[in-house]
Amino acid sequence: MIHHIVRKEFADMIRDGRFRWSAILVGSLLLVSLAHGWVQARKASQEHAAAQATAREHWETQGEKNPHSAAHYGVYAFKPRLALSFVDEGVDPFTGTSVWLEAHRQNDFLLRPAQDVTAAQRIGALTAAQVLQHLVPLLIILLTFGAFASERERGTLRQLVATGVGWRELALGKALGASGALALLLVPAAVAGATALVVANPGPTASPVARGAVLAGAYLAYFVVFLALSLAVSARARSSRTALVFLLAVWVVNGLVAPRVAVDLSKRVYATPSAFEFARTVEREMADGVEDIAPPDRAESTQRLLAEYGVERVEDLPINAVGVYLQESEEFSNRIFDRNYGALWDAFRRQGILQEVLAAAAPSIAVRTLSMGLAGTDVEQHRHFAEAAETYRRDLMRQMNGDMTENSLTGDFSYAAGAELWESVPPLEYEAPPLGWVLGNRILSLAVLGAWLAGAVLLASAQVRRAEVA
Amino acid sequence: MTESQESHTGAAPLLEARGLTKDYGGTRALDSLDLAIAPGEVYCLLGPNGAGKTTTINLFLGFVAPSAGQALVAGLNVSTHDRESKRRLAYIPEQVMLYRNLSGIENLEYFAALGGQGSLGRERLVEILVEAGLDGEAAGRRVSTYSKGMRQKVGIAIAIAKEADALLLDEPTSGLDPTASSEFSALVERLRNRGVAVLMATHDLFRAKDTGTRVGIMHYGRLVTELSTAEVGHADLERIYLEHVSDNGGPR
Repeated sequence: MIHHIVRKEFADMIRDGRFRWSAILVGSLLLVSLAHGWVQARKASQEHAAAQATAREHWETQGEKNPHSAAHYGVYAFKPRLALSFVDEGVDPFTGTSVWLEAHRQNDFLLRPAQDVTAAQRIGALTAAQVLQHLVPLLIILLTFGAFASERERGTLRQLVATGVGWRELALGKALGASGALALLLVPAAVAGATALVVANPGPTASPVARGAVLAGAYLAYFVVFLALSLAVSARARSSRTALVFLLAVWVVNGLVAPRVAVDLSKRVYATPSAFEFARTVEREMADGVEDIAPPDRAESTQRLLAEYGVERVEDLPINAVGVYLQESEEFSNRIFDRNYGALWDAFRRQGILQEVLAAAAPSIAVRTLSMGLAGTDVEQHRHFAEAAETYRRDLMRQMNGDMTENSLTGDFSYAAGAELWESVPPLEYEAPPLGWVLGNRILSLAVLGAWLAGAVLLASAQVRRAEVA
Repeated sequence: MTESQESHTGAAPLLEARGLTKDYGGTRALDSLDLAIAPGEVYCLLGPNGAGKTTTINLFLGFVAPSAGQALVAGLNVSTHDRESKRRLAYIPEQVMLYRNLSGIENLEYFAALGGQGSLGRERLVEILVEAGLDGEAAGRRVSTYSKGMRQKVGIAIAIAKEADALLLDEPTSGLDPTASSEFSALVERLRNRGVAVLMATHDLFRAKDTGTRVGIMHYGRLVTELSTAEVGHADLERIYLEHVSDNGGPR
């Protein structure tokens, strides 16, 4: 019997001009945003690859110079874009995607498009994730708010229930019928997305397809939440207008109010310093040290080396004491960076966890977190890359200072290394975290979205059972 | 016969009310209605607005729960056998409402399928619609182009397709032109001859006398009198009706 309801709902819906136009609009926006995202991601990947190659070439052909000068010359590292980043650019436009790795400093990321766009451009830059998180739920509401309420108003519900059809069968048939109509726009978009995923450079991850499948599953669950909520409200509302107004209020809270409140609340509870304050703190601690982290003392360092090598003058040391001191300075600054960046990352993590908890009030927060995570554009994966880049920087500095220490004597500033040393430094080979790591980080969002799904379906089931024909 | 009593014809009633009562807040909409309609009977409920006619039909359909008493369909208590009792019923409201984006055939197919008839072929569906008086050409058109009379005919077709034991009609000829009303009466007659029990709520004394086998006059939720249409003429029926519905007793 259900297939009759599904077929009727589907036919009734696709013959409705309002559905056709809204579906064409949302479907077009989805396809255009996917295409735009894909083109942008591909362009960015190509630019990053070219810039990375140029940076490497500059490093290798920098000519003969002291290794510590080379350490100051530095290199650029670019965060590779994962295949799914065309769906959701996440925090990348705000955090940046490249960083300059140089001696003594852990620099901020560069290339932050969000800094360079106007407010109008931000509104205009609709991503596929935004269409999926905001416009598709709106379409679901517009399709289903009258599922029961409009039938009750028109009087068809009395005749329908008089046939002896069960409320649950009716609700399930209506849900599947609406799903079929929605599939008309979502399936082509999913096929386009999957094709783009295959065609795109998969990026430094072993599981783009698995990530894509989980992403599709998360959005599907999100849509079912809205479908079930809409049916539940429609089943109980006194009129279709009441149902629509209530559901639009839910949509506004879910998509516009709750995410902003969650971000503001998490920032208030787990405050982070401004960029200026952070830089000043790091600068101060670098100058004076802090708690048990004291800046290295050059005289002490030299005395230790003299004792270690059993000589009385620095000129008699078989190594360059300055190189040792420079590395000690690096180790000191690394501890200052670890202390400050560690606290900052931890605050971001706590903010993220609180936002995931607050998704209990709005499923958009859960699906947004999952979407960014699976696209590889969330804060956690930014941190993953930033830490890999910082590890690379430290290894590079160690190698440069070590070469200076081993191959020159104290006070000899004429020592210059060449291409052989620069080429011996391996390029940064970043491996993005696997799917399991991402899901492990996002387990809270998965649980909250699952709870929303179960809750919405149970609510719909209960409300439909209590529905009245008039 | 398990739960139900015998109707006045001696056959087991298909529609039966036993002390059926419905209160809305402090207002009694239906007061201890006792009624039994046998196969092949057309029982017309007459009465002014608010007399309890539609409430009676709603109780038989299970749309509202009785405050006291029972509504039985083919011996099944509607309150405890909701779906089974609905399977035995067909219902035509005052205004048959259909899905505007679907054709008459598609509407009939849908309601018939939900009523338990499965997938009837297109040929059979058209046949039923034509039997209900709808033009064969119109059957394939979208219902948004139909007049009220045409929609009523689709409603009748839905009832025919369901092959129900009992038919509930709530002011079915209201707003129909005389020709359409007459066609409607002929259809009810055909269903009656097939053994269907019909309960029709109506304001139309002429139609009640013409179509019904028995008439019950309701006032303020009570069945105040009951008579056989064979025993009275049109004029008598009008006189009796007016005698009983003059305001000689308010709501309790």
